[in-house]
Amino acid sequence: MRLLLIIPFIFSLLHADSGILDIKWPKANAKHLKPSIPYPKVLTEGIKDVKLPVYIPNSYAYDKNMVVVADNNFYTISFLFKGATIMISGDKTFQESVSNNPKFKAMLKATPPVTFEQEEGIMTAEFNRHGVNYSMAIECDNPNIDERCKETKLIKELYNRLIMVGGRP
Amino acid sequence: MRKLFIIPMLLIITACQKKPDAPVVLTEEEKSFSFSAAGKLTPAKSGRGRLGDNYIYAPDIRFPIESGPAYLNSQVYGIGGYLGPKGSLCDEKNYQYPWHDNYCEKRRWGMPLCDGGKGHQGVDIRTSTCEKKKYYAVAVEDGTITYIGRYTVKLRGESGRTYRYLHLDSPSVLVKRGAKVRRGDRLGLVSNNMGSTKTSIHLHFDIKQTIKIDGKSTKVYVPPYTSLVDAYKRLLHGNP
Repeated sequence: MRLLLIIPFIFSLLHADSGILDIKWPKANAKHLKPSIPYPKVLTEGIKDVKLPVYIPNSYAYDKNMVVVADNNFYTISFLFKGATIMISGDKTFQESVSNNPKFKAMLKATPPVTFEQEEGIMTAEFNRHGVNYSMAIECDNPNIDERCKETKLIKELYNRLIMVGGRP
Repeated sequence: MRKLFIIPMLLIITACQKKPDAPVVLTEEEKSFSFSAAGKLTPAKSGRGRLGDNYIYAPDIRFPIESGPAYLNSQVYGIGGYLGPKGSLCDEKNYQYPWHDNYCEKRRWGMPLCDGGKGHQGVDIRTSTCEKKKYYAVAVEDGTITYIGRYTVKLRGESGRTYRYLHLDSPSVLVKRGAKVRRGDRLGLVSNNMGSTKTSIHLHFDIKQTIKIDGKSTKVYVPPYTSLVDAYKRLLHGNP
């Protein structure tokens, strides 16, 4: 009989109850939303329906060759360069939830505000801002030789130069 | 009081018992398919998986390779692998059941759900035969292609999960960034593309999703093995 009680408990640790995360809208970066020189149409049109803060590295904000894929809940913007691709994405949905679980709590606590990793030859950054989860990646033709994918220097620079270019509640 | 508890439980158990349908006829491939437990990494030195975590994180996805058989096992520790026994990557033993989970296999990079906080963020899957550019990777659910990199195709499913397909042959990729795809649509041919770095012929497949934990959230690579076992059984049964 005890087993009958335990089984539903184990499976209730994670719930597949997808939904939308609560966003704490920022004020500090609001000035970036109205740049002195208008952003290219590919960016403004691409993100016009996005309902989360849209960040990109400032040095690429005027790159007309960027590719924007977005809807209300997410955006992915990628930039093509010689020998490498740079990507940033944000997403305000969640797919699972868990409450009062020590293991998951510890995992969250152990997660730094931003992580920089090279995985599968791809240099990545992961971070959470305003309650939204963001990812950046640099993928190279020659991941074992190209310093953009071998070293964290470029991805850290890009992370430090992120500006909010749009998004609305 | 005890009866009050037992009676509803018995009703639940009775309701959950499967009523006899028409007899299930297994195909020969289904009969031969076998798999080791989720989280049991082989060889043991390859790391510690999430033993006991049988939760299906991505229920009802389609298997990411169009047709079977396919063999989910380690590329690094398999025959001919970087840290495996000497031999050919095409050794027939690499192309046999049972499947072996390789999520959380030893890697240098951070992985919050793995023991010690590091490990392989997905699984590696070999195609039916050791031939590149022959077998298609396909969309596991309806969604949007959000990114195509040097050797990566990323699909954001309507569920909000992100699926990554690595090592596809770039010229064979059939989709563009922003394309809407349906479950089962062809994406590209499985190959050994990792830019200039050599790798074996396989599909690296991973699933990333956001977990809300007491009001906060984090986006992590979740274990794909149980979802893939489930999907593969449906594929073999002709109902992908």
